[in-house]
Amino acid sequence: MTETFPGIGIWISALLTLFAFSFLYKDNPFFRFAESLFAGVSLGYYVGIVLNQTLKPNLIEPLTTNFAGNWDLLMAGGIGLLLYMRYVPKIGWVSRYALAIYVAYYIGVEFTRRIHGEVLPQLSRTVVPLFPWTGATLESLVFVIGVYSVLVYFFFSKEQNRVTRKIARVGIWFLMISFGAAFGFTVMGRIALLIGRLNFLILDWLYPALGI
Amino acid sequence: MAKRPSAMDRFLEWTLNLDRRWIYLLVAVSVITPIVVPIGLPVTTTSSTRSAFEFVETLKPGDVAWLSFDYGPSSAPENDPMAEAFLRQCFLKKVRVVVIALYPLGGLGLANNVLAKITAEFPNLVYGEDYVNLGYKDGAAAVMRRLGDNIADAFPTDVNGRPIGEFPILRGIHDIKQVKVVFTAATGLIGEYWITQVHAQFGTPVIIGPTAVSAPKYYAFLNAGQLVGMLGGMKGAAEYEKLLRAKYPELDRFYGGTRLFTATKGMDGQTVLHTVILLLILLGNIAYLRSRARRRVTDVGGGRGPAGTRP
Repeated sequence: MTETFPGIGIWISALLTLFAFSFLYKDNPFFRFAESLFAGVSLGYYVGIVLNQTLKPNLIEPLTTNFAGNWDLLMAGGIGLLLYMRYVPKIGWVSRYALAIYVAYYIGVEFTRRIHGEVLPQLSRTVVPLFPWTGATLESLVFVIGVYSVLVYFFFSKEQNRVTRKIARVGIWFLMISFGAAFGFTVMGRIALLIGRLNFLILDWLYPALGI
Repeated sequence: MAKRPSAMDRFLEWTLNLDRRWIYLLVAVSVITPIVVPIGLPVTTTSSTRSAFEFVETLKPGDVAWLSFDYGPSSAPENDPMAEAFLRQCFLKKVRVVVIALYPLGGLGLANNVLAKITAEFPNLVYGEDYVNLGYKDGAAAVMRRLGDNIADAFPTDVNGRPIGEFPILRGIHDIKQVKVVFTAATGLIGEYWITQVHAQFGTPVIIGPTAVSAPKYYAFLNAGQLVGMLGGMKGAAEYEKLLRAKYPELDRFYGGTRLFTATKGMDGQTVLHTVILLLILLGNIAYLRSRARRRVTDVGGGRGPAGTRP
């Protein structure tokens, strides 16, 4: 059974994919065209998303439809506008107030999230009683040794002595193992993207185009 | 007189000077071959994927699950199969699904595509009763905070602008605490927010389907009991597909087709290419060590000085 001939969108996607892959042979105008187009379209798309999905429904529409109930949004909008004052050199300092509010907001949000949602739950599961001894205890012991030895490695406030140097050495091993695992996963992730693109080229473009 | 290098030495020396474009070609051939001629290599399942699958299996018909598209086209080959498998499992179990997107660059487009594809496979589903698409909302962490108070505050309408009060699926579901499970197919930080904010503050069980690049960091959350389960990258998606097909053989009509991309088929290419990469690493190291050893011998034999020093 042959599938329908691929549409113009599939052809454009396929050709742009091939243009991008062509860099692997050597730099060329086709690749540079695809690269510039990608950067431009991404930026344009993001600007459109921010205008239509963020500013319009969260600021413009509430203010135009019910100003009395949403007048406080003017403050948020005003703070956002202040950020752009850095492009006016004479009053550029004003943007720092907006930035300060922005940073303080995120510190407040992130501090609670990190402590409550990450540090405390993981700490309570890392440091567990040694007895009664089970298989899970051994696992926890490895975690504890790993956490403490890596912390010692990253402790720069005091010069290391003979003992801490050896502990830090263990920490380096733990770090190397975790970097290796992360690198392995990264390779797998990148290959997955390549597989996705080549699947598209063969199954969605080439086969239908050739009538296979 | 210097000893003439053996054929093996000449081959190893040749590999050290090999143009990298030959390796690119080898990579392409290794990935393309299993696409054209599927091999069907076995996929083994891990406990993190099994626990995610089994948790969804415990849900009852009528329960509400939450699926968040927190990724863009750049990681779709990894995340799409996860979202599809989760939707198929939910719809087979008659679990109702609320779909949202929190990733700005293409999250909503992918949600629309995946939902259209899977709902077409289940023609009896009714929009608003069995599933609903609430669309995209900016500010992931702030949205999650609001979902804990009132879903209608964060998403007053669905993706088409209809008030969410119209949909039977959300009757009795006031906030995220009443949802049975959140599945986040995620790239970047948004997946982490579901764990550290929604699960930590509201206790809603979370399953994450991260890209392989982010998977290592989520093992810490998994081991700390903050996640119900995890599908790490394309491998995790393939495991989920395997569990799903074993439990629901009727899904073979979707997963068995030769012209459909699935994570299980993608793993053929992964396995072949990983083997090739491992062999290349091995060959590269042998060639390098052999070449270094030969240089030392030549240096000493040529009277240039002690081993390891260069003139």
